[in-house]
Amino acid sequence: MAIEPSAAQQHAATQPVAFEVRGVSKSYPGVKALDAVSLTGYAGEVLAICGANGAGKSTLARMLAGQELPSDGDIRISGYEGRIDGPAAADDAGILLMHQEPVIIDSFTVSENLWLKNLSSANKVRPWGFVSRKKTETTLAALRSVGLEGVSPERLGKDLGPGLRQMLALSRTQVNRHQILLLDETTASTTEEHFKDVQSLVERERAAGVSVVFVSHRMPEVFAMADRIAVLRNGKLIDVVRTVDTTPDEVMTLMIGEAVSALESPPSIETTLDPILEVTGLSSGSATNISFTVQPGEVLGIYGLVGSGRSSVARSISGNQSRDAGVVKLHGKPVHAKSPRDAVRQGIAYLTEDRRREGFVKDFTNGENMTLATLQHFSTWGVISRRRERKRVNELIREYQVKGEAGVYTRTLSGGNQQKVIIAKWIEARPEVVILDEPTKGIDVGARLNIYQIIRALARDGKGIIVVTSEAEEALMLCNRILVLEEGRIVGEYQPATSTTDDLIRASLGGEIA
Amino acid sequence: MTQTHQLAAVRPQQTRGFAWGRLGHWAKEQYPLYILIALLIIAGFATDAFFTQRNLTNVILQVSVIGIVTLAQFLVVLTGGIDISVGSVVGLAGVLSTGLFSGASVPVAILVAVGVGAMVGAINGYLVAFRGLEAFIVTLGMLALARGLVYAYTEGIPVIPAAENFRSIATSTVLGFPVIGLLWLGLALVLAFIVRRTVFGRRIYAVGSNKEAARASGVPVKSTILGVYILAGILVGFAGFLLASRVGVGTPTAGSLYELDAIAAVVIGGASLAGGKGRVFGAVVGTLIFAVITNLLVLLNVSTYLQDAFRGALILVAVVLTTVHFAKRKKAQQLV
Repeated sequence: MAIEPSAAQQHAATQPVAFEVRGVSKSYPGVKALDAVSLTGYAGEVLAICGANGAGKSTLARMLAGQELPSDGDIRISGYEGRIDGPAAADDAGILLMHQEPVIIDSFTVSENLWLKNLSSANKVRPWGFVSRKKTETTLAALRSVGLEGVSPERLGKDLGPGLRQMLALSRTQVNRHQILLLDETTASTTEEHFKDVQSLVERERAAGVSVVFVSHRMPEVFAMADRIAVLRNGKLIDVVRTVDTTPDEVMTLMIGEAVSALESPPSIETTLDPILEVTGLSSGSATNISFTVQPGEVLGIYGLVGSGRSSVARSISGNQSRDAGVVKLHGKPVHAKSPRDAVRQGIAYLTEDRRREGFVKDFTNGENMTLATLQHFSTWGVISRRRERKRVNELIREYQVKGEAGVYTRTLSGGNQQKVIIAKWIEARPEVVILDEPTKGIDVGARLNIYQIIRALARDGKGIIVVTSEAEEALMLCNRILVLEEGRIVGEYQPATSTTDDLIRASLGGEIA
Repeated sequence: MTQTHQLAAVRPQQTRGFAWGRLGHWAKEQYPLYILIALLIIAGFATDAFFTQRNLTNVILQVSVIGIVTLAQFLVVLTGGIDISVGSVVGLAGVLSTGLFSGASVPVAILVAVGVGAMVGAINGYLVAFRGLEAFIVTLGMLALARGLVYAYTEGIPVIPAAENFRSIATSTVLGFPVIGLLWLGLALVLAFIVRRTVFGRRIYAVGSNKEAARASGVPVKSTILGVYILAGILVGFAGFLLASRVGVGTPTAGSLYELDAIAAVVIGGASLAGGKGRVFGAVVGTLIFAVITNLLVLLNVSTYLQDAFRGALILVAVVLTTVHFAKRKKAQQLV
């Protein structure tokens, strides 16, 4: 915080300016999302915008791309006269935004999705224009350039997993003319395996003289790619620093405003106790013949790449997916959950990976979402006692430190707070086993630690915890024991004290050197 | 502990201006109510005949049956579905309640009507919830099926019930207020209680707003939807009986096009066809808006054809108004 922003702002003056943000503010009713932010981007440079959730980094990116208009101040794009007053104008100005949730139309093919921007009203495209289909060579080349050579252009968008969808969206950089590329948390829904493809893409873009803006809160990625880092906190630009002059710790401190206290290493577990959960020969979806046990108070990690069957294991134990074979025993008694409802009754809760779709009800408030799985606790003869419900909800909000009152819609919260609401919902059902699928996906650093502490506290209460994750670091930091899945089978068991991220990644890739 | 600190800091904010804030919030959402008030004022100025006891009683009589059908429609819309078979089921329940057992006993006639409605509702609900079919197409089929059965059963001739007191429910009054209107308002209150205060009601909102999240939270999505269609069927069946009771006979064409009025009233009342949003109060107000404008057009001697045009225009205006208010709310909620 000692560094003067102006010093770093002036860096890279040798390169031509690509865009200038001048004193831009954005207010929503009751909230100032951005407060007089000024920032300059240069051609051939990667500028990272970092900040905790709610810091305003996505708002800034969306405004650059014309998805939202500033309340105050203005944005100048080099080589474009007009104002960026909408997505079409942004297309005209050569600004390409990659959304956090990739924009893929499910019923379009891969190839149609790649050329989606051709439907934009920018560039004087008229509705009666002819949509050419003869682009196969270019299409294949574009897909290849982002590591999608195995994907047929004829496949439908809905058949792609989250990682592939994001890469497909990124392949548009190959077919759309642009001079500014905005990546809004683009790596949030991809996993480590695709990160290399993203990185090489950004490298090529930079070499081609594109101004790349990379919005993220993942320090390793920021430091692997960015030339400069702009840090936002509570809507204000705190500082702009050169990557070579700083460290991840320093940036993190700028983002949160205080030093990040590290999570103490996981406590050792008495393995002599009777296991709380025993899984034998489980096969479901892409997982085959999976066997493991979970001790009371243990946090078991399941690490693997997309498609390794890690989610199949979690979803089939918790009744979200049907089981082909295998036995699941809870406290030595076989259980077979046919639905999530069944699973909760038997003591198994599942925290979904897809928060927006399955995690909480869109039009429900925090209170309503928290009690949804346990309405019977708050009702007699099917009539809800509002007094009892409200009292318990307020307790839960304090206990989990949710930033948002009972009457606030859950969808308006940040990812971390949404996750706390969902955890509260499940813990209210007093499960024996809690399965968390990617519990910190899209959640910023500060809130992550909070979630980790909650998970640890659950384990201390003697519950059996399974954490499914695609982040090796998270697995090592959080879990007592880690199983690595590859192509549906368990290929190794690791102790965090004696393993490194490298070990896990290698094992998940089938022992090959990454 | 830090948590007690937070508690102390939050409390005063929560209590300050609590009631006024809620009232203001409530008032902001009541577009349909303002439309209704405006209509009543216009009606009062336009003709002296409107605010007479005779006319108002007439309005209540006319509105009650469609009001109950609208309540049923509201329930289904809340789940994100739609029921366009309601008009035909009103007809079917009406002719069967007057015809079966020769309509000799009023309680039996009510049971028949409610049973017919429940059965149709169960079929609709089963097909929508358990077979995963679109509510629109299922109830479109049911619309034709039920109306066909009505004509087959009656051969196009109105059915006259044997019971002499068949008309008594629909024609009697309490302190000058028609019983049929009280039934409608009573059912509205019961329904409001169900959707707002019971587990079943909370589940309806959850299912309508986000099916996947509801399922993942252990809500029995399919049986909730089935329950809604059955309950809606019961209401519609009862409405069918009331209509027959009011007219005195089971008319084959009874209830025709009720589905359109009911859907329009529900939407004007602020419910979202996408599901998960809406209040019973809104549905009641929506029904009244319709009734008042229809009555007013009759009093002003507007031609029947033009009346339809007016009502259609009213639907469009009201729906546009609701989008205005939804858009405002959306903006306010895009906080993060």
